[in-house]
Amino acid sequence: MYQVTRIAAALSLLFPTSVLAQSIEGVVQDSTGKPIAHASVKVKGTGSEAVTDKDGRFVLRDLTVGERELHISATGYAHLFHDVTVVDKTAQQVTLTLSYSPIEVIDVVASPVHMSTMESASPVTVLAGDTLRRQQASTLGDTLEKVTGVHTNFHGGVASTPIIRGLGGPRVMIAQNGLDVGDVSRVGPDHSVATEASTSQQIEVLRGPATLFYGSGAIGGVVNVVDSRVPTDTVTRGEWLLEGNSADERKLGSFNFTTGTDNVGLYLDGYWRETDDYEVPVAPDVHEPLSSERTVANTAEESNGFTIGTSYLFDRGYVGIAVEQFNREYGIPGHTHGGDDGHDHAEEEQVYADLDQTRVQILSEINVDSQWISTINARAALTDYEHAEIEAGLVGTTFENETQELRLDVMHQPFAGWSGGLSFQYKASDVTAQGSEAFTPPSEARTYAMALMEEKHLGDFLVQLGGRVERVTLDADAVLLPPLEVHSHDAGTAHSAHGDGVIRVFDVSQEFTPVSVSAGVVWDFTPGYNIGLSLSRSERAPSASELLSFGPHIGTGTYEVGALFDVHEHDGHFDFGLTERTIDLETANNIDLTFRKTQGDVGFVFNAFYNQVDNYYYQVNTGLYAEAGHDHDHGDAHDHDHASELPVYLFRTDDVVLHGFEAQVAWQATRDVKATFFSDYVRARLQDGGDLPRTPPLRFGTQLSYEAQAISAHLDVIRYQEQDKVAATETSTDGYTMVDASVAYNFTFLDQSMAVYLKGQNLTDTEARVHTSFLKDIAPRAGRSFAIGLRGYF
Amino acid sequence: MQKKFPLQLLAAVVGAALLAGCGDAETTIVEQDPIDVPDDGHDHGDDDHATGAGRLAVLSAGGDQALVFDLHDDSLLDSFSLSYPASAIAASPGLRYAVLVSRNDDHVGFLDGGVWQEDHGDHLHPYAQAPALSDYSRTATRPTHTDVGDDQLAIFYDGNAELGLPASVEVITDHDIANETAHPAAIHYSMAMHGVAKPRGEYVLATVRRADAESTSNAKVLPDQVGVYHLHGDDYELDVVLDEVCPDLHGAAQNHDNVVFGCRDGVLVATETATGYSASKISNIAALNGARIGTIFGNEESASFIGVANGDEQVHLVSIAPHENAMSAFDWQPAAGRTPVAYSFANDGSQFLVLDDHAVLTVLSAHAHGDHVHWEEAGTLQLNDGDLGAMPEGGKFALTVAQDGHYAYVADPIAQHVLKIDLETVAVVGDIELETVPAGITWLGIAEDHDDHAH
Repeated sequence: MYQVTRIAAALSLLFPTSVLAQSIEGVVQDSTGKPIAHASVKVKGTGSEAVTDKDGRFVLRDLTVGERELHISATGYAHLFHDVTVVDKTAQQVTLTLSYSPIEVIDVVASPVHMSTMESASPVTVLAGDTLRRQQASTLGDTLEKVTGVHTNFHGGVASTPIIRGLGGPRVMIAQNGLDVGDVSRVGPDHSVATEASTSQQIEVLRGPATLFYGSGAIGGVVNVVDSRVPTDTVTRGEWLLEGNSADERKLGSFNFTTGTDNVGLYLDGYWRETDDYEVPVAPDVHEPLSSERTVANTAEESNGFTIGTSYLFDRGYVGIAVEQFNREYGIPGHTHGGDDGHDHAEEEQVYADLDQTRVQILSEINVDSQWISTINARAALTDYEHAEIEAGLVGTTFENETQELRLDVMHQPFAGWSGGLSFQYKASDVTAQGSEAFTPPSEARTYAMALMEEKHLGDFLVQLGGRVERVTLDADAVLLPPLEVHSHDAGTAHSAHGDGVIRVFDVSQEFTPVSVSAGVVWDFTPGYNIGLSLSRSERAPSASELLSFGPHIGTGTYEVGALFDVHEHDGHFDFGLTERTIDLETANNIDLTFRKTQGDVGFVFNAFYNQVDNYYYQVNTGLYAEAGHDHDHGDAHDHDHASELPVYLFRTDDVVLHGFEAQVAWQATRDVKATFFSDYVRARLQDGGDLPRTPPLRFGTQLSYEAQAISAHLDVIRYQEQDKVAATETSTDGYTMVDASVAYNFTFLDQSMAVYLKGQNLTDTEARVHTSFLKDIAPRAGRSFAIGLRGYF
Repeated sequence: MQKKFPLQLLAAVVGAALLAGCGDAETTIVEQDPIDVPDDGHDHGDDDHATGAGRLAVLSAGGDQALVFDLHDDSLLDSFSLSYPASAIAASPGLRYAVLVSRNDDHVGFLDGGVWQEDHGDHLHPYAQAPALSDYSRTATRPTHTDVGDDQLAIFYDGNAELGLPASVEVITDHDIANETAHPAAIHYSMAMHGVAKPRGEYVLATVRRADAESTSNAKVLPDQVGVYHLHGDDYELDVVLDEVCPDLHGAAQNHDNVVFGCRDGVLVATETATGYSASKISNIAALNGARIGTIFGNEESASFIGVANGDEQVHLVSIAPHENAMSAFDWQPAAGRTPVAYSFANDGSQFLVLDDHAVLTVLSAHAHGDHVHWEEAGTLQLNDGDLGAMPEGGKFALTVAQDGHYAYVADPIAQHVLKIDLETVAVVGDIELETVPAGITWLGIAEDHDDHAH
């Protein structure tokens, strides 16, 4: 564990003991009167914070006179709000009593309004500490898949992104320290997310529309990976981990380290991981059930990365910069293409992606504490991303993304009980793709945004309000419409005419003004319980790939045509031209209802949501087929069998309704034993009938945990039901039960807290196909595997 | 006032939203010139996909106008007024741009021919767009010689000795022109010279002028040494000066292995080795009759070079064979009283063309005899039998060869047209009428691939 006294000492450096006489001193204790160490006491709306010592004591100095609200949080306890009046030149004494909460409550960092599992109007989950380390996987989606309401689009263990309440892709924003991750993972399921869980400190998940905080791309939710790359203190501490896993011969090493001198903080993290193709309990391809193959080809991975950060700490805040280099080489499973059907797997060529990203982040927080402004939080990032898809040693397609982003949150002094602030954001990304699978043309996207978020406690009510207006421009000066030979497979239908021999070129510029508004209320109707209601209307500008695509996308096995185009039929021929439909914003109207029990031996959180999305951009199967255009000079490329074709999918818009629930109940049976039950469900359907593809099935599960001083053990049993609510082109997917267990032995060695642990996954060695995966028919989850690892904290 | 603060902010946001036309979406689509797809758009493997898609850039007499023709149908695509009258026109390394050198204005401009290809990994993607004057330009003192090699263009700026402005070299690619690279890799000299630079990837072989006291040149503005420059970071740095001197250096050419420089007393041959470059010298032969080699032609596909020496009465051509360390009289010499005005290798190096001041084009073909190459006249064409004394002011006969087939183009300022010549049959097969007097022409487009790795 972190050393409390040293943190306290460091914090006391931040808050000099001089000057103003107003202060608050106090003790934080539990309901039995036992002092709580390492509790955080913050003065809301200001930068003032103190941490309790081993006797539960804290001191807050330099306070300005007036009504103040304290926010007290500690691991294992429900958060507490406490109103105080700071009187001129007096030192007040307070005693604060926290109630035990079996559901872990961690605040979302750097948010203008308070966000946590138990307190906010809209649902939030934060994964941190040992739970994060236990659940971390090579990819982000797989890391988060045990979070209630979040599924993974499992892509052979090499790439995955979270699906939040049935929404993924361009609707779920992925951020690193609050800034866009700047990769191309939103474009295709085979594109890895350029962020690493093993060096992160916490991962925050905002379920449901979060456009208010993160803009247009967050209409379905946000995943924010947080680390302390820009250190906010200089306490020397660190964490390291070594792990090996049997299913894919995974070897992982990672560490993070923070230190510093008086007012200069230093941070370093790094990781290295190598895996082989992973083993599965059955033949991976459902179409070849008799195959003796028991590994999924092209799922090996090799990643490494490091981050160096430094910060300058001063009385009123910090400013720092961090540079990260992220490298990953990973197989692209299921990368089969036209004409290759005859190959058996043994000779399957190596297809992999080589990803490099450099990310520079500048983060700063200044507690201005002026008459109007309390805090200014500035963040900027520059990311330079590139990945090349390599087949048979040759670069097939290269994707690049250069993103610059600037965010400025200006928090005002609490006023008439309202706290919050204004947020400004600028983001520019230039995305290019070159090569045979460059299905989207180069484009430049610019976003300018301004948002206001405010909250106020009114008696037993917490009111949270927000609004955001954005200007999003998308420019692409060479959108290509090549002549495409398509045909349907219906008997007697003629192939379409060849195009007229020209590639039509369009200069497309688009300007969107999405506006989002949200209102929420949390009512503590009786001690230990609350009800939250959140209403929001969010708008999203469609992404470049949804609008401008025209080409084969092997990651999804489709020929993708963006919403800018349409297909016209005459005399049995099909021609592609510009669409006559209006390109409009996607709009989500969302209602969220939350019921929580925040204290006591049993805690729970129930969420129900209803999300009506108008103008939902999605792909429809045109029933047409196009040549993959992906010959590889095998010499037999033009035999015109159907194997070398891809189905043509066209982006359309329709009105869609998603509704469902999430439930989480935790029962602290004894001091050491806890049982957690959870379930989630989403139904995603077109308003005019029909279901959306790749919607997660009903899921429920339990986690039993035993956490004593030396030994901790966890048993997870999760049941995924059959999914038979499928889109027209989909097949239903059988249900399965995953059983995972882990046991850890904690000890102290060389002045470090260490743990040696053993993890078992898929203990029943069951065939598990993930309905939300594009590869469900060729890449089931890994079979039974064991991992052994060692980690330490100092 | 104080009380209204958050409300005012909220009102501002809402107001902004309303002003912006809450939830607005606007799409503007402008259709551009389409790209010709020679075949069905799927067979990227075919070699002939660019045939006939070339362009011809024509520089007018006086250099103030440039015209671009589509060689598919010989139509004029566009004409451009040049703010800086060009003294020379040449093709960029990728054949996408016409390089317009305005020596007296210290300016090099670029005209986008509109036809190029882009490497899409497994295939080269052809583009055909409208020609356009590029915004990009290079400015330094007295750009004079431009040289192409390894997809690079070296611009040699002579500098100005009188004004104390030193010479310099800039090396750019078509990519730099397209991206308007502000600071291309360069060589910065300390004094002016009339020099030359040959780009070779991360190396540039460029002339070195010594202090006048040390220089062996008679005309001190001409350099007498060659330096091997190597790219270090953003600029080229001098690695080594070749140990052979080349008094009154003028003219240079290169192929895959060698760079040959013309000197008063012979030619300096730089040969690429595993570790750098070695130098040797081939002395002038008696057949030159005391004249010096001042212009050299080379071709990637040809092991030997052709040197040109302008004697008092007669122009002499020599064959330079670096691999044999030998110089010999060329198999063909201009007739007495005829002065060649333009020379060119054909696109694959198998032919050499000489255009003289009597409007006669001579086509020579190479024939291999073992290691030795022998040149034979394949035919001659009298391209203008009118009054050659009626040359309009500023007009020049000019020659360029197509890089996608066996064709040459000859600009005739007197007849004000460009003739298309089939080099296999040595016959005029086309005629493009001009409304202006030509002073230079250059072929632009997508070169045929001569390499053996055709798909």
